[in-house]
Amino acid sequence: MTLRDLARRSRRHFWRSHLGLLAGTAVAAAVLVGALVVGDSVRGTLQTRVRERLGFGIATAMDLRDRFVTTNLADGMRSRFPTIGSRALKVGDVLSPFWSPAGELVLPATATRQDGTSRANRVRLHGVTPGFITTLSFRLGSNAPAGNNVWLGEPLARQLQVGIGDSLVFRIHRPGALSREAILSPRDDQSVALRVRVDRILSSAEGGTFGLHTGSGSPMNAFVTYDTLAVAAGLPGRVNLLLGGPLSRMETPRMSDRWKHKTSELRSGGIRSFWNSDLINLSRPLDPESANREMTRILEETWSLEDAEASLRLGTNLSRATGPEFLELSSRRIFIDPPIATAAISVSTNAVATPTPVLTYLVNSISSGDRMVPYSMVTAAGPPYTPADLKDDEILVNTWLAEDLGLHPGDAVQVAYYRADSGTTLVEQTNQFRVRAVIPLEGVHADRSLMPEFPGLAKAESTRDWDAGFDLVHKIRDRDEAYWKQWRGTPKAFINVEAGRRIWGNRFGDFTAVRWFLPPSADAANARQQIAEEIRSRLKPDDLGMVWQPVAEIARRGAASGQDFGGLFIGFSFFLIVASLLLTSMLFQFALDLRLQETGVLLALGWPPRRVRQVLFREGLGVAAIGTVAGALLGLAYAKGILWGLNTLWTGAVAGESLLLFIRIGTVAAGAALGLLVAAATLWISLRNRVAQPARVLLSGTETLDDAGTRRTGSPWVQRGAVLAGIAAVGASAGGLASNSGQKPALFFLAGTSGLVCGILGVRLWIRASRVSPRIAPSLRSIAIRSLRRRPGRCLATILLLACATFLIIAVAANRLDAGKDATERRSGTGGFALWGESSLPVTQDLNSRRGREFYGLDPSAMSRVSVVPLRVRDGDDASCLNLNRAQRPRLLGVSPDSLAQRQAFTFTALETGTPTTNGWNVLLQKPTRGADGIEEIPAVGDANSIQWALGKRLGDRLDYTDERGRPFRIRLVGAVANSILQGNLVIADPDFIRLFPSETGHRAFLLDAPPDSAGAISAQLTRALSDAGLELITTRDRLDRFNSVQNTYLNTFQVLGGLGLLLGSFGLGVLVLRNVQDRRGELALMQALGFEASAIRGLVLREHLVLLLLGLGLGAVSAGIAVMPALLTPGSGIPWSSLSWTLLIVAANGAAWAWVATRRALAAPLLPALREL
Amino acid sequence: MDSISFRHYPAVRMSANEVVPLLELRNVSKSYPGEVPVPVLKSARLQVARGERIAILGPSGSGKSTILNLLGTLDRPDSGSIHFDGRDLSTLDARELAQLRNRRIGFVFQSHHLLPQCTVLENVLLPTLAETGTSPASAEDRARQLLDRVGLGSRTNHVPGQLSGGERQRTAVVRALINSPLLVLADEPTGALDQANAEVLGDLLVGLNRDESVTLIVVTHSPDLARRMDRIVELRDGALVTS
Repeated sequence: MTLRDLARRSRRHFWRSHLGLLAGTAVAAAVLVGALVVGDSVRGTLQTRVRERLGFGIATAMDLRDRFVTTNLADGMRSRFPTIGSRALKVGDVLSPFWSPAGELVLPATATRQDGTSRANRVRLHGVTPGFITTLSFRLGSNAPAGNNVWLGEPLARQLQVGIGDSLVFRIHRPGALSREAILSPRDDQSVALRVRVDRILSSAEGGTFGLHTGSGSPMNAFVTYDTLAVAAGLPGRVNLLLGGPLSRMETPRMSDRWKHKTSELRSGGIRSFWNSDLINLSRPLDPESANREMTRILEETWSLEDAEASLRLGTNLSRATGPEFLELSSRRIFIDPPIATAAISVSTNAVATPTPVLTYLVNSISSGDRMVPYSMVTAAGPPYTPADLKDDEILVNTWLAEDLGLHPGDAVQVAYYRADSGTTLVEQTNQFRVRAVIPLEGVHADRSLMPEFPGLAKAESTRDWDAGFDLVHKIRDRDEAYWKQWRGTPKAFINVEAGRRIWGNRFGDFTAVRWFLPPSADAANARQQIAEEIRSRLKPDDLGMVWQPVAEIARRGAASGQDFGGLFIGFSFFLIVASLLLTSMLFQFALDLRLQETGVLLALGWPPRRVRQVLFREGLGVAAIGTVAGALLGLAYAKGILWGLNTLWTGAVAGESLLLFIRIGTVAAGAALGLLVAAATLWISLRNRVAQPARVLLSGTETLDDAGTRRTGSPWVQRGAVLAGIAAVGASAGGLASNSGQKPALFFLAGTSGLVCGILGVRLWIRASRVSPRIAPSLRSIAIRSLRRRPGRCLATILLLACATFLIIAVAANRLDAGKDATERRSGTGGFALWGESSLPVTQDLNSRRGREFYGLDPSAMSRVSVVPLRVRDGDDASCLNLNRAQRPRLLGVSPDSLAQRQAFTFTALETGTPTTNGWNVLLQKPTRGADGIEEIPAVGDANSIQWALGKRLGDRLDYTDERGRPFRIRLVGAVANSILQGNLVIADPDFIRLFPSETGHRAFLLDAPPDSAGAISAQLTRALSDAGLELITTRDRLDRFNSVQNTYLNTFQVLGGLGLLLGSFGLGVLVLRNVQDRRGELALMQALGFEASAIRGLVLREHLVLLLLGLGLGAVSAGIAVMPALLTPGSGIPWSSLSWTLLIVAANGAAWAWVATRRALAAPLLPALREL
Repeated sequence: MDSISFRHYPAVRMSANEVVPLLELRNVSKSYPGEVPVPVLKSARLQVARGERIAILGPSGSGKSTILNLLGTLDRPDSGSIHFDGRDLSTLDARELAQLRNRRIGFVFQSHHLLPQCTVLENVLLPTLAETGTSPASAEDRARQLLDRVGLGSRTNHVPGQLSGGERQRTAVVRALINSPLLVLADEPTGALDQANAEVLGDLLVGLNRDESVTLIVVTHSPDLARRMDRIVELRDGALVTS
């Protein structure tokens, strides 16, 4: 015989009394397993969505946005990978799928049904090639949309409510050669319509939800043929998104290779069947980082200047009738990207002379005295256009200009021009020059090609055809028209290149051309090739924003490290777990109470107490193990229930994501093991003092009561503990108040837990101290209270259960967020703004200016009380709580800090140490710093919730980014605003934004101040007026509500699960009543024998236990009050007194009902036979 | 030289011609705790020789159970000392006392205190689990022999609920003897039995005392059982008086 035999026998014999233990451990295990399975399911769902979003075929991507490389780049890269059959493969060769990389053109668009009945903004219209489609989804094979057909992703089709055969109109942003914000950018060709017919609707598995960034909603995708979109957008031969497939490297074959790869083929769904399986069997997939490096290496070998939107052409000067005279580097983007310009200027080969940078600009007027020539080109350049010693304030004027203005050397002229990057605000500036010389209109000075291909000017036959991007306010004379017709954009004046750079240089570039003059004997073709190679060698593709990103790995990381729903639901279920374990412990102890004599016998037989505990523990553990197994199975049902809830009732918590159930055996086993461990700890704690009583006492069958009756107030540590816990509770609450930043979770939990501990220790002291004075005649009430002393442990456990439930209910109610509360206040989460808007296409006009409002045809009177804070947008991950993935690179917003600082919008919860706190937005005015590694760090402000939960960061932390030109920089989190509509984004200062992303044109997000009563009308008018830009406006209250709904849904979940815990707590109270009455049946029988009526006895028992109920409720309420005090004072939060009062009343009534039912039940049997037990 | 040793504390060695009582109470006093302590034993003295059979008699509340608890190491005296096999029990800690109780002392209670979940054989083997948690094979052989001896050889796999009162008490007696103790303490062993079963149990106790050379101390109200002992000790006003 062994202890195990004895434990097994005992389990079998006392199975009824172990049912409570079984149920309790089953509940705890079910909750733990369920929560972990929910976590797995969320992660699994996110991974599934990543696969749907990126497919199996996409590993890396080069997302160029507003930059366009040639289609040759993808072809060139593809040809550099050895392909099967092209040549003998050797060990070390890196293989790419035959379709990879593939390029496409993707542009923002709006989509409208032809009948105008539905509309979708923020659509991504893809111009795709068959290779791209294969990369997107293997299911589609080599199909691609043809002709004027469009394939729609399911989400877009749903939004538009269209089916196959329906017609749609897409309006796209036509990328200009020149930034829309640059002067000289034409106004009229910003968008173009594309009429297409729906040919196919793509499911998620077919790439319908393709997207590189994680976000809260499904991407709205539409796919047309590459040619259709490229022609419509005016970008033939150009793409702005390249996708790369997974790479693998040929390795020395091993015996096990074939078997391994066969299985991996099966695991990956047979996708490798596209490859030659025999060869693939000898290659191994490259890890994401290595694959990305390999793609970058191949890119460096392949790219050309054309991919950088630059070109090198042979130019002919008018003065030379034959042969090329110079080589000119120019850009499709008009202004040459600074890295290219810098590289070009440093090139000086044997074949050519020193490079000459050129900057030609359209000035509004050149005037002298009362004479003025309107709209002329002026070139800033060095020799041979100007003398080397030309001073910054000197100018050369051609004979035509000199004649017109009557200029002579030494005369002063005023040159007025719009600042190059003043955009639609059109800031005019005037500089004064002194005429150095009058130059003949011939030779290098008669070169019309000095004017770059300004989009609205270059092709104009007449000045009347000009679209300079601004109103021509000066009268164009016949003489001017004649000059244009004869000389086109030939500059009328020349200035020093440095002076020109200073006044006309801008974020897009400082030069419009770089020229190398060829010696007469030069081999032009050779020189051209030499210069191109020299420039290329001085540049890296990432200098120009051509950067491969391991998007699949980034997305996978985001999905894997997203919100841990397992932990979250364990947190939500914490009270349920605690309640079930407290109940388990109580019921286990009750079961053991029935076997006191058995314990006494074993001790009397010489068993060491440790051995007795051991056998009881084994007995309990066996039951707990069975309960855990049952709980694990129940946990799967529980998880399914939670997922059902998240997919139906609590969709707000998962931003509408439809979650799938993923069951991993390892997780279930881990949850069960954890449940068993927790149950074992509970049993051990329950047994700790179980064998402390002497054998002779236990043999008598009457365990000494918990209170030995010798201590009046408990040990000093209890008193000290109560005081310390009280101080901690009040201190934590005061800390929360002092921080002036709403509820801080750590302080909330500290205050709440300390309050509960203080209360429970206080009750313990009170119970121990409560004695009936011998001088006072005892009453039923005093007897009832004194009865609590009999089993203070049981009483405290019950009080704690009820207090926790009450605490939970109040805390949940107080943390509920209401976006409507204080919504018009600047310090609230709306920032006091009435509307939030986002547009599909950038808005380049200033919506605060009369000119901008006129441009969109807005009613001036309706808009008179409206002011707009425009925000620039650099797309990235949605870092709001609506995105379940961990945001890796959140969307960046560029704002003028003054515009928010003046309004004192939003409430800052924290600012980085050392920053001025008078106005939080001023932190964005700090100059960027550099890290120890020299990388620039840009200050940014984010929403406190986004920073903490979506990013998992804190103030002072950094996030790695790459700017438009491929230079790494970091975002440094310097400020956090409380629960706001800025969730999901990081806000940086406009100047920093423009510097980092010069190509990001205009504004795509807007904060609008408007009178609340007319917000609806204003919203309607703006939406209508800016429909081509795809502007969508919602009230800030609605936007905040969407974010709040996540927290509020969590709280609902918390409340439901807490409610289950409360049910257990109430049940525990009932069990306690039953057990206490059972213990005291003899004593109660005596009272009956002494003449007490049954109702009086019931009243006594009920009163005794109602005291516990009231103590539990009171303790929970006071603790919660202390903990939630800071939350109450936060804008947008407040206690819903009415619903809360009702809830607490229900809790009290529920507890009282349990106590009453248990009292009735316990006293239903005749008491008098119990007299014999006395 | 004769030596007595327990597994975990040193053996007491003495000369062969020296008569050492198995048990000796030297001026043992014990009171019930309370605001006014109630004395039960007052300088009680007693010597019990090896193999002796003693009955302790006394009225209710005289302290019979108290003295049995003291002798069985379940309680400690307020003053005085108790020597078991020459060793002062006050020098032993709780663990050593438990070992002593397990290896050298057997208990028979008025209420048999058998574990209802265990069979007769398992109940008998319970004391053998105290140290290692496993019964040695030899213990099971001895248990079966003893059960045969008391007429329960055919009931080894029955649980207490299937036994008569007398059978239960005989099982309890066998349990007390399983570890070959030097001393068996029986607290009203026949108190819950009818006349016939009481006599059978009395015969059994006397027989085992003889055959197993075990010292027997019985607290009883039964004059019949008391008469079958070598010596009767009465508790009077807290003192032990040999009749």
